[in-house]
Amino acid sequence: MANENASVWTSIRFWRRSAAWVTGFAVILLIWLTFDTLGQISMGTDADLQKAVAEKKENKRVPAPTVINYHIDYKMDTRRGHEVPVIGAKEPFFGKEWSPKEAAALLHLGKLTSQAKNCMNCHTLLGNGAYYAPDLTKAWIDPAWQKGGPMQAMTGKNTVEEAMAEFLQHPSQYPTHARMMPNLGITAEEAKGLVAFLKHMSSIDTNGFPRNFSKTVDQFKTGGTNAH
Amino acid sequence: MFEPFTDVVPSFFGMLNQGPLTLTIFLHTVIVLPMFWIYFQEKKRLKK
Repeated sequence: MANENASVWTSIRFWRRSAAWVTGFAVILLIWLTFDTLGQISMGTDADLQKAVAEKKENKRVPAPTVINYHIDYKMDTRRGHEVPVIGAKEPFFGKEWSPKEAAALLHLGKLTSQAKNCMNCHTLLGNGAYYAPDLTKAWIDPAWQKGGPMQAMTGKNTVEEAMAEFLQHPSQYPTHARMMPNLGITAEEAKGLVAFLKHMSSIDTNGFPRNFSKTVDQFKTGGTNAH
Repeated sequence: MFEPFTDVVPSFFGMLNQGPLTLTIFLHTVIVLPMFWIYFQEKKRLKK
C-alpha cells in the first residue's frame, strides 16, 4: 500500500525515536561529563605537590592541603592566556611547617567555619556566592594583605596569615569599606583554619577566574579599588 | 579555528571548549545528524 504523500512530521514514530535519541545521548553525555569532571576536581597528594614544586611543573588543579607550607604566586601564563597560581619555595605558615595530617585538619576546620559563618552570603568563593563583599577566591594573593599593603598595616601584624586571622576575629573594628564586615564571633583557632582555607583556595587553578585579577591589582596600586 | 590544547588536565570536553561556539556546534552536529537519518528511515517506512 504505497503512500507517496505520507508526511514524516505527523508520524508519532518519528517523534518518539527522535526524543529517545536526544534523551539517550544527553544521558550518556552527562554521565561521561561527570566522570571527566571528577578527575579534574580531585585533590592531589603531598607527593604530587612536592614533585610539582621540585620539577617546577604544573600542579594538579587542586593541590594537597600541605600547599599552605609554600609561597603562592600568581603569574600570567602566555601559553594559556590567563594567570595561573605558581607554587614556589617553602615558607612558614603561622610560624611552622604543617604536616599533611595537621594541614588537612586545619583546612577542614576552615571549610566548616566558612560554611558555619556563611561567608558565601556576602563573599564569592570559586565562583559561588555573592558580590556584596570582596571575591575571596584569590584573597590570599591580594596585594592589600601583603607587606606594605593597607590591610596588613591596619592590623599591625607582620605576616599575611596573622593579619588575616586578626582581622577575621575582629572585623568590625577595622574601617575597611562602606559595607564593613560584621563581627561573626570567629575564634582564634577558627580564624587560623579560615586563613588556611583561603590560602589553599588561592592555589587552585581556576582557569584564570576571577578574570583580570592583575588588572584590578594595578588599578589598586594607582589608587583605585583593589582586587575586589 | 582550532587552537592548541592548553588546559592543565587533558580532557575531551576541555578540547571542545576552547572557544565559545566549539562545544555548541559539536553537540548540535552529533545530535541533529542522526535525526536526519531517523527522518529518512521513517519516510521510507511510510512510503512502503
